[in-house]
Amino acid sequence: MATTVKIPIKDQNLVSSLQDFFKAMLRDGGINGLMVAQHLPTKNSVMPTLVTDPDKLDTADPLAPVFPINAAKVVSKLTRKPLGGKVAVVLRPCEIRAFIELVKLKQGRVDDVVLIGMDCLGAYSNVQYPDFAGDNGMEATLRFYRNIQEGKGTACDGFDVSPACKACEHPIPENADVLIGLVGVDLKDHLLAKANTPRGEELLENLGLSSTSEPEKRGKEIEKLVTERLSYRDQMFVETSEATADVGKLVSYLGNCVNCYNCRVACPVCYCKECVFLTDVFDHEPSQYLRWAKRKGILKMPTDTVFFHLTRIAHMSTACIGCGQCSNACPNNIPVMELFRTMAHYTQTAFDYVAGRSLEDDPPLSVFREDEFQEVVAKSH
Amino acid sequence: MRKKIGSALVVGAGISGIRSALDLAELGYQVKLIDRAPNLGGTLTQLDYQFPSDHCGMCKMLPLVERDSSSQYCLRKGLFHQNIEIMLNTELVEMEGEPGKFEVTLRQRPAVVDPELCIGCGECSRVCPVEVADEFNAGLAKRKAVYLPVPHNIPNNYVVDLDSCTMCGECEKICPTGAIDFRWEARSQFKILVVDDELIVRDSLKDWLIEEGFDVDTAESGPAALEKIAKQPYHLMLLDIKMPEMDGVEVLQRAKDMRPELPVVMMTAYATVETAVEAMKIGALDYLMKPFDPDTLVPLVVKLYENLERAGELKMEVGAVILAAGFGSFDPAGNGLNTYGYGEIPNVVTSIEFERIVSASGPSQGKLVRPSDGKEIRKIAWLQCVGSRDMHADADYCSSICCMFSVKEALLAKERSNGQVEAAIFYMDMRTFGKDFQRYRDEAEKTYGVRFQRSRVHSVEQKELGGDPRIVYTDITGTGREEIFDLVVLAAGQRPPAGSDVLAETTGVELNQWGFCQLKPFSLSLTSQDGVYVAGSFSGLRDISESVIQASSASLRASGLIHSKGGGLAEASESKVAFRDVSREPPQVMVALCTCGDTFTQAVQIKEVESFVSNLDSVSHVHRFGSICTQEGWNQLEQAMEASGANRLLIGSCMPYLYTRKLRDLGANIGLNPALMEVVDIRSSVFPGNNSSQEQASREIRLALSMGVGKLKGMDPSVSTGTPIAQKGLVVGGGIAGMTSALGIAEHGFEVFLVEKTEELGGNLRHLYRTLEGNSPQELLEQTISKVQRHPNIHLHMNSRVLHSHGRVGRFITTIEKEDGSGETLEHGVTILATGGKEATTESYGYGQSDIIVTQHQLEEQLHSGQIDPAELGVVAMIQCVDSREEPRNYCSRICCSSALKNALYLKEQNPEIDIYILYRDIMAYGFLETYYTQARQAGVIFIQYDVDDKPKVNIENGRVSAAVTDPILGREVVVETDLLVLSTGIAPEGQGKLAEIFGVETNQDGFFQEAEYKWRPVDFLREGVFTCGMSHSPRNITESIAMAEATAQRALRILASERLTAGSTVAEVRYSLCSLCEKCIEACPYGARWRDEDEEKIMVDELSCQGCGSCAAVCPNSASVLRGYRDQQIFSVIDAALEEIF
Repeated sequence: MATTVKIPIKDQNLVSSLQDFFKAMLRDGGINGLMVAQHLPTKNSVMPTLVTDPDKLDTADPLAPVFPINAAKVVSKLTRKPLGGKVAVVLRPCEIRAFIELVKLKQGRVDDVVLIGMDCLGAYSNVQYPDFAGDNGMEATLRFYRNIQEGKGTACDGFDVSPACKACEHPIPENADVLIGLVGVDLKDHLLAKANTPRGEELLENLGLSSTSEPEKRGKEIEKLVTERLSYRDQMFVETSEATADVGKLVSYLGNCVNCYNCRVACPVCYCKECVFLTDVFDHEPSQYLRWAKRKGILKMPTDTVFFHLTRIAHMSTACIGCGQCSNACPNNIPVMELFRTMAHYTQTAFDYVAGRSLEDDPPLSVFREDEFQEVVAKSH
Repeated sequence: MRKKIGSALVVGAGISGIRSALDLAELGYQVKLIDRAPNLGGTLTQLDYQFPSDHCGMCKMLPLVERDSSSQYCLRKGLFHQNIEIMLNTELVEMEGEPGKFEVTLRQRPAVVDPELCIGCGECSRVCPVEVADEFNAGLAKRKAVYLPVPHNIPNNYVVDLDSCTMCGECEKICPTGAIDFRWEARSQFKILVVDDELIVRDSLKDWLIEEGFDVDTAESGPAALEKIAKQPYHLMLLDIKMPEMDGVEVLQRAKDMRPELPVVMMTAYATVETAVEAMKIGALDYLMKPFDPDTLVPLVVKLYENLERAGELKMEVGAVILAAGFGSFDPAGNGLNTYGYGEIPNVVTSIEFERIVSASGPSQGKLVRPSDGKEIRKIAWLQCVGSRDMHADADYCSSICCMFSVKEALLAKERSNGQVEAAIFYMDMRTFGKDFQRYRDEAEKTYGVRFQRSRVHSVEQKELGGDPRIVYTDITGTGREEIFDLVVLAAGQRPPAGSDVLAETTGVELNQWGFCQLKPFSLSLTSQDGVYVAGSFSGLRDISESVIQASSASLRASGLIHSKGGGLAEASESKVAFRDVSREPPQVMVALCTCGDTFTQAVQIKEVESFVSNLDSVSHVHRFGSICTQEGWNQLEQAMEASGANRLLIGSCMPYLYTRKLRDLGANIGLNPALMEVVDIRSSVFPGNNSSQEQASREIRLALSMGVGKLKGMDPSVSTGTPIAQKGLVVGGGIAGMTSALGIAEHGFEVFLVEKTEELGGNLRHLYRTLEGNSPQELLEQTISKVQRHPNIHLHMNSRVLHSHGRVGRFITTIEKEDGSGETLEHGVTILATGGKEATTESYGYGQSDIIVTQHQLEEQLHSGQIDPAELGVVAMIQCVDSREEPRNYCSRICCSSALKNALYLKEQNPEIDIYILYRDIMAYGFLETYYTQARQAGVIFIQYDVDDKPKVNIENGRVSAAVTDPILGREVVVETDLLVLSTGIAPEGQGKLAEIFGVETNQDGFFQEAEYKWRPVDFLREGVFTCGMSHSPRNITESIAMAEATAQRALRILASERLTAGSTVAEVRYSLCSLCEKCIEACPYGARWRDEDEEKIMVDELSCQGCGSCAAVCPNSASVLRGYRDQQIFSVIDAALEEIF
């Protein structure tokens, strides 16, 4: 039976109550550091911070409805080699799932981290969030949750969470060491903290929190939330498939792409030290352009646009966890998340694989099963 | 590659011959590989699929290191190796000299089609009016007299079959390259003397032969003929036997006195045939039967002429000879009775014929239809032991492979028909004695529903004309039955290869009573003639795996001899060529276009092609040559290349595969790495019959050239310097296998560490006192131990075990620990694991509950020590397959049946009164062991077959032991009260798992070492540089263990023989600046050639283990892992070139 405890809410303030929890954890949880998103003092932006001093958690706010980067990448940087200490990292479910994929790709290790996952109700885009948050970020977070508690959903003040979040069927971080639960929980009184692993138990045991059990309605509310999201997601798959049904449509879908490769930079599972599209592999001979142009008398420049996206899909679609950072990073509002998620859905289904679910699942392309895809691998006679 | 001085001749280019030749070539010897057939590959060319994988895999025999020395494509298509010279249509006709220095004479049958000029277009075959049965399809299809011996060979040259050719000359006229030449004009120089007393014979022969272009003279009597012979030499005399004054035999004698070299052919009527045969004994070449008609006589004379005048003879010196002559097939129709109706009843075929029926290159393109009437085949019977295990057919031996061959064919039939075919195998014993055979058989039965019918087939009948064949047989209970099938396949056994008696006489090797090559005791490769070794089925039928092992055993012996003789037979040694460093030069490609005489220029607009090519990027020169295939043309090309200063060469010609050797020589001559040269086929686009327009053809040619340029310009010009090799071996295990391996290496001058965990050498051999053949294992043991102990190159480490090992092929660092705890570190380039197996223990059949229940091994020990006295025994029972051939130990231990036969025969010999009962499932008396099975039955040993589902029951009561078994013929239980119950418990692995872990190799599900590939790489591990032999690999007898040990030594020497080895021009590399260390490539590498160096934080590639497959490059997302010769930019260029004119 997993340990489940209450994180008390004081003054009806989710944000400060969580900060107290993190302070206690940093003091008594047997960890050397905590990585958590904080409002930065200079400008109203929210970024992961690595904190060792409990007094430096005053602007911590992992509930802020924004994540400018997928923090799996920074956790990967922290854990590529032995860290020399234990760090708890507070992540969204999609960040945890991306990190799990990176670990499988030998880009990080779980040994020195305790994964703390938050139920995720979604995030606004990087562009929208500052407008939504205004001058007071933490207050904006409270506003966002009040809106939800009042049954008004995630749309608030004319803003709404990103399509990636609306289509995300994994709002609960089931595979975290410690899960912080919000859905179906009486947020006026407390938050839920549940240890899923011995590592998580260890973290919670000295914090002196009173134990509880998951409220009955939590299961149902999660189910409702997931159902809504699945329906959004499936509709998105249908529309995207239709919009990219042939090469011509795909070319026009990606027509505004400027080869900035931001989607690849933002993508947490694009792990190459240097993308092949930045290497000499695509240093075409100048005369080659002219020859290409001659074939049809016209050549769209820059070249390699569709090729880049197809290559990226080939490389990351089995590992795509659907965080939507690609769309978040796209300067020209190309619905890249929709395209990548749709493709990823099909490839992952084909291999009966769920990216980010568990370290136990081997990446599909690292496994050969003699009996799968008989239509492709069967002896041909 | 370092070239050793010395050469060898390999006779027979089937699997064994190719293996032996490659072995010796890899050691640096010059090898002459000859075959009587016009093609390589032997029987295997006709077989597309081999069990247990039901695939081919022949290419796995190709070199794994120094790969550039050899062709690296489908070995069924052809073979090139820089040290192997292949001569087809060639026989060994004379051998003189002594071991280490033989002078051999090779005779090559005339080639009417010049292989250098033939481009394989097939026009000749199209116009040829002759149609005869096609041997390749086992006579199930037709071919022309000018034909392709194997449809898929590379290069695929047409050949003329002079036996069926009518010399009409049509092919010669149509050949576009002038490759076919009957040399009519040379015939006018060929003087024939016709001697006959009848004017009409003289005149008609003269007329016919003059018309064929010969110079003909006649003589009306013996004396007249002799007078003419005295005056001038003739090339051929046709001599009548029956003449008044002086008969033909006398004339022959006198003529031979005058001119011993004159070929004489006797002419005879039927009445004097015997005289003609006598005449041949005193020197006549052949005889012709009267009456003559020009249609048969003329081709006969022409064939004689071709053989006499055009057959090339080559004399050469070789240090050793390996006979890999293969086997012949039993002809079921040639056996008098022919109760199976082969050749008489339609739809009774042999295994080989069936193989052709299911082959995609066969007469029905692989469709399962009957050759006789095209009816779909739905029910097939395989009849085993046709011409094997049959005293009436003079074959008291088992052909060894037919059982598995039939199971494989049954599975192929099942697969081809989606399981629709009913397949039944009628057999006596299903001999599944090889590694994994039993599971293969069980799977055929249980998963695929192949029916195994233990029976004796009496005959095959056909009730009415055109009806289906009906089998009349007796089942295991003795009941007579009949059954109708669509097709009956006869598993025809083996016979010695055609011409083996002549070969034996020529080489001086002894044959056994059945005409197979006789082996020396405890060897699978030593013949009665020193310096002549045997490989493959010439000494008894073997499957591929064993042929490959035996071939390597033969090559080790041959190499050992040549080495011991100091290698006096020098071929010019080749010094390491230093290639020009062109890495800092921009790519400059010279394009050489072969215009193939004029034919090519007529077919395409050559100027237009030329100008297209000269406009391509990086092309610096374009030249046209008349025919690059001729020496003259090649010299011109070489000069042009040298003069051009270009650093890449692209040749557009026919048959690119032909150029491997030529390019290497060119590279050596002009100092340019041959990896920077490429040949593309521009010729087949304009083959006659292609019907492509000039424009289409030109486009195809432009594309081919443009793709070639694309590939070349991106080629990495740097040259690998190779990996240094620690030229020492490590052998783990001091049994007979380990000792033999160690000696094999040591005798070639390299040091070996031999590590044995006990205090004594010898392993299991120490407890064996007799073999079935009557040889002494103890003598062998004593001799071997003495050789090992005395050999200065062998360092013995007794009472030691391996603790740890790291490194890779070329340099392993291994730590061993002695009993006293002291350790030692050894550096070695190769590792041989020969740790053996042990007799399995059992709890079945009351073992351990009575002193008179023993294992076969214990029986032998106790007979030797005198603990068991045969005189005191009344009844002995033996139970075979104890805990074996059923899960979990579902394998045959191979040696138990022969042990049982050995011990039974010995007991009978000591005390003929003993009643011996052997309770068995299948008697595995494979090969010539069968004869001992026969002997045992003749000696009165009773064999009772039992089923695995109804095993014997042992009862122990008051110290008495009895065994109860269901006798299938009596149909009831038989109880044997026995004085001794002997259990054949088989062989179990011993500690392979731990060693496998230490050396990074695999074990199979039974715990034996897992070889790289059962058939083609039987002694290698997938991990290069580590090898296995003896019982640690699988159960086998002493001789088989020795052969395998010799094979491992051979495989090891190919690494140890060089101070440095290179891999090949196509190997993987890592571009470290791009690498994210995700290790996907390590997982993807099937050869274990990659690892992560923790100190350097880099992915490393072991060049020697890398086989250039490119899996690593494919999984790497950002091309940090790349394959030399296949870089992304190159492939993009090639794709761009290919699509240039399409999109």
